[in-house]
Amino acid sequence: MGNGETPAIDVIQRRQFMKATAMAAATAVAGGPPYALPVLADEPADGAEGVEWNKAPCRFCGTGCHVQVGVQGGKVVAVAGDRNAEVNKGLLCVKGYHVGSALYGSDRLTKPLLRDGDGYREISWQEAIKTIADRVEAAPERFAFYGSGQWTIPEGYAAQKFMKGGLANNHIDPNARLCMASAVTGFLATYGVDEPAGCYDDLDACDVLIMWGNNPAEMHPVLFSRVVDRRSRGEQITLIDISTRRTRTTEACQHYLEMRGHGDLAIANGVAHLLIKNGTYDREFVESYCNFKVPDDANPNLHGKPISFDEYKKQLEPYTPEHVEELSGVPADQIRMLGDLFGNPDLKITSLWCMGMNQHTRGTAINTLVHGIHLLSGHFGTPGDAPTSLTGQPSACGTVREVGTLAHTLPGGRVVANEAHRQQTEEFWNLPAGRINATPGFHTVKMWESFCTPTDQGGEIGTIWVQVTNPGQTLPNLNKLFNPKGKRDAGLADKFLIVSDVYPTATTRLADLILPSAMWVEKNGIFGNSERRTQQWFKMVDPPGDARDDCWQTIAVAHELFERGLKGMADRDGRFLFEQKQDDQPVPIWEWEHYYDINVDEGLFEEYRQFTRMKHKDLAPYVEYVNTRGMRWPVVEKDGTWKETRLRFSEGYDPYVEEGRGVQFYHSPTDDDRAQIWFQPWVPPAEVPDEEYPFMLCTGRVLEHWHTGTMTRRIPQLNRAMPGGYLEMNEADAAAHDLENGDQVKIESRRGSLVMPIWIHGRGQPPEGTVFIPFFDETVLVNDLTLDAIDPFSKQPDYKKSAVRIKKVS
Amino acid sequence: MMHADRKSRSTRLVAFALIAIALVGYFTGIQAPMPARHSSVPWSLEDGKAESESMPAGGEGVIPATAYAKMAEVTRRSRRRPEVSLASFRASLAVKSDPLAEIAITPADKQQSLDRRQRNRAFNGAPPTTPHPIDQRSDASCVACHVEGARAASFRIPRMSHRLLTNCAQCHVESNARHLPVTPFGENSFAGLAAPEQGPRAFSGAPPIIPHSTWMRSDCMSCHGYVGEFGIRTTHPWRTNCQQCHAPSAALDQTLLISAPKFLPGPKIIE
Repeated sequence: MGNGETPAIDVIQRRQFMKATAMAAATAVAGGPPYALPVLADEPADGAEGVEWNKAPCRFCGTGCHVQVGVQGGKVVAVAGDRNAEVNKGLLCVKGYHVGSALYGSDRLTKPLLRDGDGYREISWQEAIKTIADRVEAAPERFAFYGSGQWTIPEGYAAQKFMKGGLANNHIDPNARLCMASAVTGFLATYGVDEPAGCYDDLDACDVLIMWGNNPAEMHPVLFSRVVDRRSRGEQITLIDISTRRTRTTEACQHYLEMRGHGDLAIANGVAHLLIKNGTYDREFVESYCNFKVPDDANPNLHGKPISFDEYKKQLEPYTPEHVEELSGVPADQIRMLGDLFGNPDLKITSLWCMGMNQHTRGTAINTLVHGIHLLSGHFGTPGDAPTSLTGQPSACGTVREVGTLAHTLPGGRVVANEAHRQQTEEFWNLPAGRINATPGFHTVKMWESFCTPTDQGGEIGTIWVQVTNPGQTLPNLNKLFNPKGKRDAGLADKFLIVSDVYPTATTRLADLILPSAMWVEKNGIFGNSERRTQQWFKMVDPPGDARDDCWQTIAVAHELFERGLKGMADRDGRFLFEQKQDDQPVPIWEWEHYYDINVDEGLFEEYRQFTRMKHKDLAPYVEYVNTRGMRWPVVEKDGTWKETRLRFSEGYDPYVEEGRGVQFYHSPTDDDRAQIWFQPWVPPAEVPDEEYPFMLCTGRVLEHWHTGTMTRRIPQLNRAMPGGYLEMNEADAAAHDLENGDQVKIESRRGSLVMPIWIHGRGQPPEGTVFIPFFDETVLVNDLTLDAIDPFSKQPDYKKSAVRIKKVS
Repeated sequence: MMHADRKSRSTRLVAFALIAIALVGYFTGIQAPMPARHSSVPWSLEDGKAESESMPAGGEGVIPATAYAKMAEVTRRSRRRPEVSLASFRASLAVKSDPLAEIAITPADKQQSLDRRQRNRAFNGAPPTTPHPIDQRSDASCVACHVEGARAASFRIPRMSHRLLTNCAQCHVESNARHLPVTPFGENSFAGLAAPEQGPRAFSGAPPIIPHSTWMRSDCMSCHGYVGEFGIRTTHPWRTNCQQCHAPSAALDQTLLISAPKFLPGPKIIE
């Protein structure tokens, strides 16, 4: 098809559409062309005729690449890496290049569907909203909201306000609890405030990159390329992979430290031991900026017990390289090599981690330990010296961690248990004093356990509304936490599951009400990525059928309850909680046809922005994000321009560090501007292989599919490259079991069983005694096998260490 | 002196033999999974299927390895392929060395090439998928062939069109997984941006401007040179400073910071 055939009418419609949706708002406020990408609108070159390009962050992972989205005739037709984006500098991964296709799977949900026996009836949106309002009204305290780090910032903020402000109910939690809760507790226990001090720029400056249980070659490929590309340019950089299996990342590394599960606790202690023993720790840094802590076993909390440097030293004494080898399986010489690197003040060392350290029953502990060895060695606070955790979802940081859509938090780093924080929140929301409930709600595992427990046996949660996530595939131990909902004899007939999504999923399978949602560039949005970068985009195409924005769905239900006189949906002046005005007149945004009369995102964002200053995570006004490829907070106005912050806590970078202080941890949990270096003992995993279940099962992701694959498995190029789930096994184990590539095997744990093919020498290569299964395939749900043991502080489950046995299926 | 010469000659002989063996090895391996040629395919999602179906069935295993017991049979089989003999490969190298050879491309050739390009990419500008098995963990084998690219009588190794990026499978995935049978998961109605048929010319005889973005396609000769699809080859391969005459389009260039040319105000006309 030549471009000359593009009907002229398309061009006109497109222009009108763009003007209506995006341009008008942006041009009015910014006073110029809204996008930095130049488009010669009147005389496009042949190749670009009829294609309108616009910026958006990618829909998928937490890297937060910017893409250029090409729209023609009201449809996304192409995607390019955004050269003006600092995150990805014009490069994408295969998921990003095909993100446009994720909108066009033929089974998009387009109508609200209400369960009727074994099937579903198409219903109107009005009926759907009423159905939800009925469930909430009947028992507001038994209602729960389950979201994710894929909620945009305004969506998460609206859900948060609806629950904690409107219903005085704290049962709201995100799937990010399963993903990075331990990173949060690690940051809080160490610095007293969440999120990394460093950023992706460290990848350009580091001499050594250590990946702790992390496979960025597949999971954060754009960041990984940023490092290996430096090598192609002739730079020297040492890559170290600390992992439980060989992966693509391993192949690019000079050093591969193959450890057993929980070996990381021993390795980090071993490095600290060597730094002290060799006298190579950074004495000046430690004396100026650090305290020492141990866990308080009698009263477990994130503050622990203070100890002296000598006590700290004594705790580390047993962790000799040889002892660490026994605990972790990593040869003592490799521990010494790591100790020498950290002990060298001339090197710049960046640590990256993601699910390996977070999905860990000692996730908080290992997070604090890795921060600890960076602090102890002084590898902190200058470009290239940074302990940086990565996130898996596009707005795990922006929405979950910053807006605080967790059962115990309020926006801007506040917690429900703190009276002053509740009062501030009530003030910002103009609520009557005492509206917000002081008791934390149920965290994810507890929420679903309660939902899957019959009401008469104490299962308090009666209704869950799920938005932008797929717990039917991602919760651990599904046979306990999700699958009972589908069983007739489970005594759960009174429970009600509402799911807003874009495609049928493992979760909609058991839903009572399914709501069709708009996704990505079918709506306005704001994400916050792993490096504190807040990113905005405009709606570019219409959602299919009756699909509508998640944020609108929440506001529509809130308004229905407001109309019914539910007191919580009004502020202290009797006005609707989500009232937005234009020219002093309230706009009926709860009516879909008026939702885009104004920019609801902008209104919610400006309201939310007030919350961000207490913890010095200041955000700029909405319009500032329109013209940039995101900015890293704190974003502070200076001489009329808004400036982002590359490194937190470091003088010269962070505007909140006082002059002459060098490094200042201004949210220190000990109120003395110092960070905490923790000692945490090695402990074994919650479940270890035994005679009955002799293999350790690790789960994870693959390059081609994003998490549960609901979007990427609808994209032919990705689905064909990685069509289904498999079991990775070591060649020696396979030979011992008389297994060959492609053989069907039955994998059993104490919680469930699966049948799938085996892949030897495949994408990854687990060592003997361990196996690996990716979790993207909804037809072989690996979480039927996984354990639901959680970290005591973060309440995050461990998906990486479950004992299983394997049999050949003949 | 004589002794040294003999020594260097024997070194050269050994080196030549090693390279020859390596080349035969590479191209024998690459030969097997190349897709059959299709005269024309429609621009739709079916393209992918068409390509998949044309693939050899080797669903088991990844890079097909040969057991020693079967080596003799495999060697016999490979001997039946005249095009992978060193002689034919050397002959094709000789063609490459003649940039003055006349190249005549018919509209049908061009269409065939455009069709074939479409078959392994979602839209014009998408990273092409790989029509052969890949090493699941290492990129060394990608780089070994695709940095330079090559062409022989019946097959072609495309050359990297962008600067050296070595995490290859980050963008280029297998068009058809070898480790598992493909079970398409629903359909998808994404209709990708088509490749332009030609660049616009100011007048007949003017050099066409580049009708596509040059981002990630900065090496013109990777597609338009000897190792590219025949139907989109340049007719004048001896000229290698392409952008001397073929201007890139500002509309497709993200780096341009000015949206429209600006001028000083013209003379003020006093009435």
